[in-house]
This record gives sequence, structure tokens and C-alpha cells, in this order.
Amino acid sequence: MVVNVKLVGLFQTGRFKQKDREYPAGIKVQDVINELKLPQQHFGIVLVNGVHADIDTVLTEGDHLVIMPIVDGG
Amino acid sequence: MKFQTTDPAANPTAILYKRCTIDLRSGDMSFADIPCRNLEDVLGGFGRSFQDLAEREIENAYCEENPLIVNTGLLTGSSVMTGMRTYFSGYSPIKGSKAGLPAAMWSTGSGRFGAKFKWTGLDELIFENRSEKPVYVVITETDAGPQVALKPAEHLFGLSTHDKIMALQKGYADAHFAVIGQAGENWQNNYMGAVALSTENQLKEHEDKSRFAGRGGMGSLMGYKNILALVAQSSDKFKPLSEAIKQVNLNVIKGGGSARIQPLSRGGGGGTWAAYDVLQEFHAVPVNNFRPQGNDIPEQLFRENVEKEYNIKSQACYRCGITCHNNISEKNADGSKGEFLAKFDYEPLNLFSTNIGIHDAGQAARLIQLGDNYGMDAISLGVTISYALSYNERHPEKTILNGATFGDYEKIRELIIQAGEGTLPEIGQGSMRLSQRLNETSYAYHVKGLEIAAYQPETNPGYIWAIAGGHMSMGTYGLLTREGKSDLESWVRGITEDKLHIVGFDMIGLCKFFDITKGIGTQMVVDCLKSELDLDVSTDDIRAAVRRAFLRGLALELRQGYTKAEFCLPAEVSENPNQNIKLPNITSREFIEKLEKRVWEIFEPELEGLFD
Repeated sequence: MVVNVKLVGLFQTGRFKQKDREYPAGIKVQDVINELKLPQQHFGIVLVNGVHADIDTVLTEGDHLVIMPIVDGG
Repeated sequence: MKFQTTDPAANPTAILYKRCTIDLRSGDMSFADIPCRNLEDVLGGFGRSFQDLAEREIENAYCEENPLIVNTGLLTGSSVMTGMRTYFSGYSPIKGSKAGLPAAMWSTGSGRFGAKFKWTGLDELIFENRSEKPVYVVITETDAGPQVALKPAEHLFGLSTHDKIMALQKGYADAHFAVIGQAGENWQNNYMGAVALSTENQLKEHEDKSRFAGRGGMGSLMGYKNILALVAQSSDKFKPLSEAIKQVNLNVIKGGGSARIQPLSRGGGGGTWAAYDVLQEFHAVPVNNFRPQGNDIPEQLFRENVEKEYNIKSQACYRCGITCHNNISEKNADGSKGEFLAKFDYEPLNLFSTNIGIHDAGQAARLIQLGDNYGMDAISLGVTISYALSYNERHPEKTILNGATFGDYEKIRELIIQAGEGTLPEIGQGSMRLSQRLNETSYAYHVKGLEIAAYQPETNPGYIWAIAGGHMSMGTYGLLTREGKSDLESWVRGITEDKLHIVGFDMIGLCKFFDITKGIGTQMVVDCLKSELDLDVSTDDIRAAVRRAFLRGLALELRQGYTKAEFCLPAEVSENPNQNIKLPNITSREFIEKLEKRVWEIFEPELEGLFD
């Protein structure tokens, strides 16, 4: 199945900004994070089709997945 | 401080702090060792100063009875990473109720002044009355204990924050400085004066790299008292690092608390600037006075775009491994670093760029630098200007001030200069007063008279209960964007339990990046207190003390005349909801009414008897 993956901020470095990517059915957000080797300590926010989701969310064909680092002000 | 117990929660009176009280009118001063009333007193900062402020009934910030309290926290000057904080407290000229009474306020900053102050042997300095002539105050460590002297300061009058520090540095070796700029000197027309704190980098490189205690106009209060600068002169007194502190400091650097703040080159998130990318995903980066437009305009200030034209270098506070801030400088033709412009933190960056229609990083940096050198709070200044620009956009036929509009760099620069020099009270006295004068209050982005931080109020109804400004005294600013919480229960719990604990950092002397999500009621802090001071205190005791301190702040607001109706977000948020923000709506009237009911039901019973 195809999932549109968007990476935000530092996650783009050495990877990509936004891409359609092929994944096996039943894949979870955590699997995508592992596959892209995103640094765990920065992992912050996941949106699936514009709605906050967690790393155990199962993705389906055509989903739009956004993975963002954590945010803090100052 | 004198420690005659190892149990500060059970025996706070066996811990004494050294206070110097100065009568600026007569020049008289007295020193005393004061027993702590409770654990809040022991921890220090606003936990102590707000108890003293509560003992005074102040109707006008600019009156002789309003003290300026300068103090530190228990871990200021310790070997614990980020232990650099100084606190300035008093009744605020800018934050006040509609009844006309000033709110109690504190402001804090890093830099090395706090540690130097602590190492003189003094824990607290209280300024009473006001001096007839400008003075600066020298606090010196001697064999007989801390000494304090008042010195004539006419030669410093009219200098910028940086120039004052440079002038003082010539006369005082081994010292650090806390100074006001021209804004604080012009306190009558500028209520947003900040206190600039010198940094090691500033003194070595002679570049304007101060840190600021900006919020609430404590620099203006200092100006009213005719104090232009404080000098703390002492030898360094860092203890050798114990194994426990080494471990804590390592956790601070590598742990979840600060990893995202570290520079990109060290595998970090690149400082607070990184918030731009994340908030833009929700179209929640403030644009043109907090009205995001649902477009890609904010992306011009993404780091990746700024780096093409400017030199960016991460830098840390003294002995801190977090490296939280990014210095932006001109880029020479060969790519090397040119003239230093300013420090880019998320708040000033946004409020002097996208939120006033400026999309060039260099222009934003120069505006930040200008405001810093005049010594004004970046948040209050940026937001008051954005209000004026918004007014002019809505009334092209009858503009105010110099007619500046969004993006007009030269005219905005002019507004900052005039405000800093005290010739533009419309800006200098803040957005609440300006909007009331113009009878258009709905889009003035302040809460309880203090301008909000660069987080859309649509994402943070917690602003309503913040006791000392938006994001520093109520850590709910990420509850919707970061945690995705849009249900009532999560917000009630966030405001009344978890997120208020951010104020603990404004007691103990540490920066919030020490462990921003958990506060100070943690094993890490318990270990630090044991190792540095041989104090046995539990996380529960610390959390209880922080909660009492927060509630005192809330009770003080009510005592200073705030009605519950004044605990509110800017009206535009609910009157004209911004459909461009891609997040659930948690600021509808209905949601806010339910939230208010639940939060007050929890807080109100706890407020009773706090000042008995």
C-alpha cells in the first residue's frame, strides 16, 4: 500500500521532505519511524490524516502521515 | 544561606538566608539572617518574594512602598547545570487589573550575575523607596561577609544595556552586571523595561549577548528607583563535581528534557527555533498580530532558509551543556561569520518577524537587537507593536503613531526607538492601555495586562491562569499541539496539576530546560539538593511547595482586583475564530466556560487562607 509520508524539521536532514512510500499492509507508525531511522529522543508528534495519532496507529492505503520532532518554546 | 538542619520541609526555620535591605532615600542599609517560613522560602525566587509582596498593599507600581526584590534560588551558583538564575520581583507597572491595581510579578534570567551575586554571600537584596539621583549598586564579597555600596551613576545614564555593561566592566574585574537600558530610565513612559544580565561571552567578546529578565517591567521599576545597574563582585565558588551531580548534568544534556534544544551538529533539534517548523504544520505560527493565514509565509523564517544568507552559530550559557540559543550574524562573501546581529530564540524571533509582517531574518535580528539594547521586554514590545500595526491595517483612513503597517521595517524600527527613548508611551505602556485608549480591545493579545508569548491563544487556554506571563508560568502551550489533547479533562488536569509546575524553576535557580516537562519535583532535583547542600527532601514536598507558591500568585492576582471576567483570552479568539488553524477548536465560548468552571472549582478552595 502507499502512504504519503511528510517529515518536519530536523527529520528531513539526510532523508526527504515529503514522499509517497510503499509499505506492507498492517504497518504501524512505529515501523515507519524505525525504517527511516528517526532519532527516538526527538520524536514528538504524529498526525495521520491531520489528526494526532500515536506510534501504535495502524496505517492504511492512502494515509497521509506527518512525523514531527517535539516542540518547546523559549 | 545557613543550614542548621538537613530537613528543610520539616524545619524550614532552621535555614536562614542573608538579606540586605537598602533604603534608597536615606542610603541606610541593614543586613539580617532571616529564618525561612516554609519550603518555598528555602527554595527561593518568587516562592519567597511573593510571600513578602503579599504583606504589602500596593496601589501603584511607581510608589516608594513598592519594593524591588532581587534574589536567587537554592541552586543558583551551584555545580548543577543551568544554575544561573536571578529573580527580580515587585508590583508590576505593566501588568495590572482593570481596577487599576498593579499585579505582583517576577522576572528571571540567566547570565552569570546570579552566581556572582550568590557568591558574595548575599541571598536577597530589597530596595525600599527611591534614590533622588541615579545610582548603581556594588555588592562585594569580603572576609567580613557581603558588603553593599551605592555609587553615583550619572556617567551611565543614557547608555544602552550593552554599553552600560561594557562601561562597568572596565572598573570591576571578576564581576558580573545587571543593568537597565534607556527604556527603564524612561519608566514614566515605558512600563516594559527589562533587566539585562551580563554573560561570559559578552564580557569576553564585547558583543551584545546579554540575557534578559524581561517580563513585567522589572527594569522600569528599577528605573523608577533610580538604580541603573547592579554589580556583583566575587570569586568563583564552584564545588568540585560530585558523582551524583555529574550524573544529573549528563541526564540534563542527553535526557529528553533538553535533547531537542541541542544544536543540530550534536544531533539535537536546533534550539527553540525548531518550533517554527512544527507549529507551521498546524498553521499556528503567529502571523500579523496572531492571525495565521493558512499559507506558507512563515516558512521564510525556517532555519534552512535563513542559513542560506546568514551565519548561524549555536551557543550555550556559561558552563551549560544545553547550548540553547542560536546567534545570527552577517555572512561575509567568503562564507565566514560577519557582524553579530542577535540571538534567535523562538519568542523574539517570531514576534519581531512573522507576527509583524517582517520575513527577512536580518531585519528581524536587527529589531531584536534594537529592543534588547534599549532594554525592553521582547514579548511585550513585539506584541504591542503588532497591535498598533493591526489597528492601522483596520483603519487606513485614521492611522495612529507613524502610520506603520505590517512589514514596514523602517517605520517599525522608528517605533522601537521612540518607545525605548521614552517618547512613545502608546507603545511603551503596553497593549492593554493602548487598546483601551483606542476602544478596540478584542485584538490586543494580552492576558491580564501582560502580552502573550508567541503561541496562538487558540492552542493554549492555559494562558488564562498563568500568573507571570504566557508560557513561563503555565506550561500548557504544547498540550494541544504536542500532545493532541482537546478534551476538557486533559485541560483541567493540565492547568490544575501537571503544567503549573513549570514555575518551580522560578524558585530554585534552575532554567526550565533542566527538565521542562517534569518540573522540579523529581529525583534529579532531590539528588542535587542532597549532593550540593546535604538536604533531605522528597519529591512530594517539593511539588507541594511549588503548588502553594503558584496558588499564592493566583490569590495575589485576585487580591489586586482582578475579577474572574478578566481571566480571559483576547476576545477575537472566540468572536472571530481563525479557520486557518488546523487544530481542534478548544477556545469556543462553550469550552472555555466549562473549563473556567472546573478549574476554579479546584483552585478556589485551595486559595482560602493562603495569606493568613
